[in-house]
Amino acid sequence: MKQARRWLLLAAALVLVPQAAYAQKKKPPKGGGTPAPTTAPAAGAPAAPADADADQPTPAPAQGGDQTGAAPPAAGETPPATGGVDICQITPDAPECATAKTLGEEAKKTIHAEIYAVEQQYVIKAQRIEIQPYFEFTMNDQFVSHNGPGLALNYYITQVLAIGLNGNFYEGLNQDSDFNFQNRRSARIAVPLNEYQAGGNLNFTYVPMYGKFAGFGDFIFNYDAYIDGGPGLIRTRPIPVIDPDNRKFDWNNLIDFDVGIGLRVFFSRWLAAVLEVRDIIYFDKIENLQVAQGSTSLPITSTQNPLNPNTWYDSSTHFTNNVQLQVGLSIFLPTSFEYRLPK
Amino acid sequence: MKRRFVRAVLASIAAAAVSASASSAQAQEIELTGPLKGAPAVRHMRLYREGRFSIAPAISFSLLDQYRRTILVGATLNYNITDWLSIGVWGAYGLLNSTTDLTDQIDSHAPRDALTATNVNHTGAYPMYGHAPFADQTALMDWVVAPQLTFVPFRGKLAIFNKIFVDTDLFISAGEAIAGIEERGNCGDTGQPVCSDPNSFKRVSSTKFSYGTYAVGLTFYPADVWSLGVEYRAFPFAWNLAGFDSRGSGPNGNFPDNKVNSQDDTFHFNQVITIMVGFSFPTKAKVSE
Repeated sequence: MKQARRWLLLAAALVLVPQAAYAQKKKPPKGGGTPAPTTAPAAGAPAAPADADADQPTPAPAQGGDQTGAAPPAAGETPPATGGVDICQITPDAPECATAKTLGEEAKKTIHAEIYAVEQQYVIKAQRIEIQPYFEFTMNDQFVSHNGPGLALNYYITQVLAIGLNGNFYEGLNQDSDFNFQNRRSARIAVPLNEYQAGGNLNFTYVPMYGKFAGFGDFIFNYDAYIDGGPGLIRTRPIPVIDPDNRKFDWNNLIDFDVGIGLRVFFSRWLAAVLEVRDIIYFDKIENLQVAQGSTSLPITSTQNPLNPNTWYDSSTHFTNNVQLQVGLSIFLPTSFEYRLPK
Repeated sequence: MKRRFVRAVLASIAAAAVSASASSAQAQEIELTGPLKGAPAVRHMRLYREGRFSIAPAISFSLLDQYRRTILVGATLNYNITDWLSIGVWGAYGLLNSTTDLTDQIDSHAPRDALTATNVNHTGAYPMYGHAPFADQTALMDWVVAPQLTFVPFRGKLAIFNKIFVDTDLFISAGEAIAGIEERGNCGDTGQPVCSDPNSFKRVSSTKFSYGTYAVGLTFYPADVWSLGVEYRAFPFAWNLAGFDSRGSGPNGNFPDNKVNSQDDTFHFNQVITIMVGFSFPTKAKVSE
């Protein structure tokens, strides 16, 4: 029975809640005055945003007489009461009146205010961490595909600049193509093939572009585009095709440099889809097209012994571009943020 | 009995609460019945496409080429029925082409013997090489014409370096591509030269109909009269890029049959990336209400 009372009280409270909402109904302001804005910009606020990337409000443009006739009172000032006695009429020399006069003159000046196309960016990235899981697809290797998962972690120092790490894993997912087989059978030419194990890079990201699209005139989504790049390491090895009976290659650590360009489409303020094209540039070691013609019974150090690992690699390294398409998600942490200033 | 009564009372109160709270939703209808009712989402929007004819000279670069790269020059012509739907045609001519490293490697390293006789030309009118260049038998793309519909689902703006603001739209095109190509002629069948004959390696012209053409791109509008565009396009069809005899006999026809014909064609996506500069007429874009 005690519980029933509690439920009745709760139900009564529920009934009252919507009644309170009626209080939100718009009422005409008494006296015909304009209601005061809920968040007036503080006096002394900068006239123009110091950093256009930030979430600062757009300064009001100088249009018509809206800004010229009615200067806002300075901080600490008491505005003259409408319809009351103006103290400046009694004592024009009062310091408050001098300030008001100066402000009035200042307000009459023409202001070349700048209006930004996007006043408040949809996502504030500064000082947030981005976790970016993705899957990459080979774009330019016709012979062996190097698809695999990857993960990037970035910390945004500013709204447009980030530093981070990314890693790719390829081992077990390298795939010899049918094109390679057809080509080898038809022309009797062996193309040296390489497979990858893993790779990682230190990345610097710059976000020069952002914008928004209206989709079907019905919904709006925000996006940005970035470029990134940095040094790293990739582990590759040749797949023995010239002399597979005698050659067995170990993984090589190779220094690389990657550059990428990406597009991020935001679903929310912390979740986005990512599409990026990245080129991992390095000098690869490939299999030697020549096979040592001596016997395997020769000393292993002999350059005529096909079992000598020193004879397995081509004498020169080869400039290689591994272009991959990365498709993934971008998760920003913390998931929420507050704009520094109102819109 | 008492418990059932209490439940009934609670249910009644809850129902009353729900109906009462629904009345608060009437406050939301101010927007529907107020001055914004029926108003467009964007006022004074520049209609860069609607009712305008556009011509966009373009240069296209083939992607992921196996034996030969092609640079095509052409143009896209569009009549924009609405701001989101256009009808038009993309056409291009293969102006320049170059061989890939693979083609050069085959040319310099492929053995000229009985095993490759049907696939790589052993002789020819190039005594300085001792044999005809392999590049001469690789396929060429001469021209492409693609009537298409263009759909513009996304329209917005782009900020670059926070200094440059440009209206942008994203478009998707679909249609049919007809390509004029040159590939190694048929050989090995009745009335045709045998495939080891040097004359059988000559290219012949033919026309291919693609399995549709699909494009996606961005158009940037720095001004009413001109625009910049970038587009990715694919027009898939099967052709014999190298002139090899690769199929026709054995299980599933996966083994060479000493004949070169349509069975040796290989499906390719045939991708190009295009950069274009568009001009629209009338030169002044409409502005929405």
